[in-house]
Amino acid sequence: MKKKKFDLERTLYAVLAIGCFFLLWWFLTTFTAVKETTPGPVAVLKLLGESFFKPIGGKVITGHLLTSLRRVLVGFSVATLIGIILGIAMGTSRWAEAIIKPIFELLRPIPPIAWISLVILFFGIGETSKYILCGIGAFTNVTLNAYTGAQNVDPELIGCARMLGTSERDIFFRVILPSCTPQIFAGMQVALSTSWMAVLAAEMVGAQEGCGWMIQRGSDTLNITLVMVGMIVIGIVGMLLAALMRTIERRLCSWNIMEE
Amino acid sequence: MEHHGGVTGKNIISLQNVSKTYISEHKTNEVVRDVSLDVQENEFVVLFGPGQCGKTTMINLIAGLQLPTEGKVIVDGKEVTAPGPDRGVVYQTTALFPFCTVMGNVEFGPKSQGMKKEERRKKAQYFIDLVGLTGFEKSFPNRLSGGMRQRVGIARAYANDPKVMLMDEPFGHLDAQTRYMMEEELEKIWEKEKRTVVFVTNNSEEAVYLADRIIILTNTPTHIKHEVRVDLPRPRQYSDPEFLKIRREIEEICDDTL
Amino acid sequence: MNEFAKEKRRQKIKFGIVSILSLCTFFGVWYLCSAVLHLKPDYVLPSPVQVVKAFITKLNTKAPDGATLGGHILASLKVALSGYFLGAIVGIPLGIAMAWFRKVDMFVTPLFDLIRPVPTIAWIPLMILWFGIGLGAKAAIIFVSAFVPCVINAYAGIKQTKPVNLWVAQTFGASRREMLFTVAIPTALPLIFTGLRISLGTAWMTLCAAEMLASNRGLGYMIQLNRTLARADLIVVAMLTIGVIGTIFTVGLDALEKKFVKGGRRR
Repeated sequence: MKKKKFDLERTLYAVLAIGCFFLLWWFLTTFTAVKETTPGPVAVLKLLGESFFKPIGGKVITGHLLTSLRRVLVGFSVATLIGIILGIAMGTSRWAEAIIKPIFELLRPIPPIAWISLVILFFGIGETSKYILCGIGAFTNVTLNAYTGAQNVDPELIGCARMLGTSERDIFFRVILPSCTPQIFAGMQVALSTSWMAVLAAEMVGAQEGCGWMIQRGSDTLNITLVMVGMIVIGIVGMLLAALMRTIERRLCSWNIMEE
Repeated sequence: MEHHGGVTGKNIISLQNVSKTYISEHKTNEVVRDVSLDVQENEFVVLFGPGQCGKTTMINLIAGLQLPTEGKVIVDGKEVTAPGPDRGVVYQTTALFPFCTVMGNVEFGPKSQGMKKEERRKKAQYFIDLVGLTGFEKSFPNRLSGGMRQRVGIARAYANDPKVMLMDEPFGHLDAQTRYMMEEELEKIWEKEKRTVVFVTNNSEEAVYLADRIIILTNTPTHIKHEVRVDLPRPRQYSDPEFLKIRREIEEICDDTL
Repeated sequence: MNEFAKEKRRQKIKFGIVSILSLCTFFGVWYLCSAVLHLKPDYVLPSPVQVVKAFITKLNTKAPDGATLGGHILASLKVALSGYFLGAIVGIPLGIAMAWFRKVDMFVTPLFDLIRPVPTIAWIPLMILWFGIGLGAKAAIIFVSAFVPCVINAYAGIKQTKPVNLWVAQTFGASRREMLFTVAIPTALPLIFTGLRISLGTAWMTLCAAEMLASNRGLGYMIQLNRTLARADLIVVAMLTIGVIGTIFTVGLDALEKKFVKGGRRR
């Protein structure tokens, strides 16, 4: 991990770059034909500010956000738990591997979004299908990483624990499980962003609220400003979720982070 | 001898006609051939041999991490059939648990035996102090230098109160300077906390510095070529003419085996 | 063959049989739930037999969604590959440039960080409003989805070049340009391939979403339309097709990587 020091030159360039971006955007949307189709930065920022007070389809923007986040959180948590259990089982037991792996490999290549129609037919358009779709989004990555993590536990550590008179049950909880946490965490990070993507897709296809619904509605009503506001909010929340995961990881896996 | 528990004359490790052959898919590989060896309680025995001989295999056989193809390994009157806490191993790679702090590593064994928290903390602290790591209890292994990690390894093996300590080239990865320091340190620790030690090395200086008895092994299939008793007073001097004489002697014997 | 090898082979056969039994059980339970017990109506839970039948008929029937399976596949591939190649062709050089030239890095990275957190799916409505629902919008969406991982990995790949290797090249009198092509890019190649693999995955996934929302052809459209028609058998056919094509892509890229990346793959 590199220590980030304040770098004046870098900051100046960043300010310059972002300044140029907004200036170009503003210029194009004020003086050229682009303004027919695309709103300027001012309009987008204004709507973004308003959206916190003026409801869009029944809820203000924070309401939509919370709805989407709840869906992600439920699906993600359940899928992560199942994924860790299945993954570690496959990584530590040849029986579990022989039984689970073929089915897992059969279903794995199907992207979570491709499940939308089937899940909706099965469970209707309500919350359950959203939870399940978020879960499918998270499941694959967590399982896969827990699996490889458990497979790659250093056998010398297990031998060492046996030497110290550790019971097999203790070896599982005190050696194997902690050994694969970094890998599981790496999987969870990807899983969370896939989950976030899956909820958007699910909401765009069929929902009455949530961030995905919001941008889809913007699209249906030809309201590009709303679409852009939605994208900004979705991007920021996605970024915050990733940052949150990184913070938790740094806490839990500090032993694994190499210092120069 | 002033220290408690010198060599008692009681056999604690006994290898009886031990052979080990690895069988893999494509070939069979005889690593240890008909080795018989007795180690007495509180004796410091060094297994000395060329690079790729079956030294590590011998340690693993005593540890119970591998079982002999023929013959028996007996530790403290019982035949070895599995790993167990009566034998402590110090690894060349240290094999510290990266996810445990220094304290966590040292108390790992006692915790596995179900020792109460307060008691095992006290015990672990004693050995952490003994190896000179006071103040590093909460550090993770990735923050420690090679020498410090090996100290943790030694403390961890000690904390479990093993009857026998097995050390597999513990200082093999260290630079020369640290190595000298660790050899001195190990001797001090051993003088204070006497245990039976079986120590593997391919460095003749290290062997003479530490050993009561040096067992010289041949290349694979390994068997015992010769054994040399070292009766120099401790702590020994690397430049002592007697020291150098024994060193030359074992090197010559070892060279013959190549 | 010795005892050990025989034992190993026995184990392999044993667990192979367990795997096959496991798959059979999976299909058996599926068949039991659908065709025998009818836990859900056929249009929601088709039996495996129905799916196979649907697959065979779909090979040369255009009903009910306007194209044969081959037609849908072709439509999807056209969109996915055009967007994907565009993303890779723009993304990889950009990532390399960002990592190699300090000024480019300082100027472009903030802009890149600005768009990176937005999931590609969130771009769909915007692209549709900008480009309509034709090939352009979908290709643009796939472009974004492939572009981002390509840039990130090419950047990281170049950045992991060891200064020592560059110094060595320097002492041989290599120019900066030569160093880029002889040292930095070969070092980055494994990660560039990782980027290509990741972006192919995301591109294929994004394609489904894009076709669901704006299309009249393609596998994603097939999934979407057949939901409104309550033809779960055709949905499953489309899903499996997507899975199979995704696997073929991955296998193909792995083979390509093995051919191009010398000195082992980074794990």
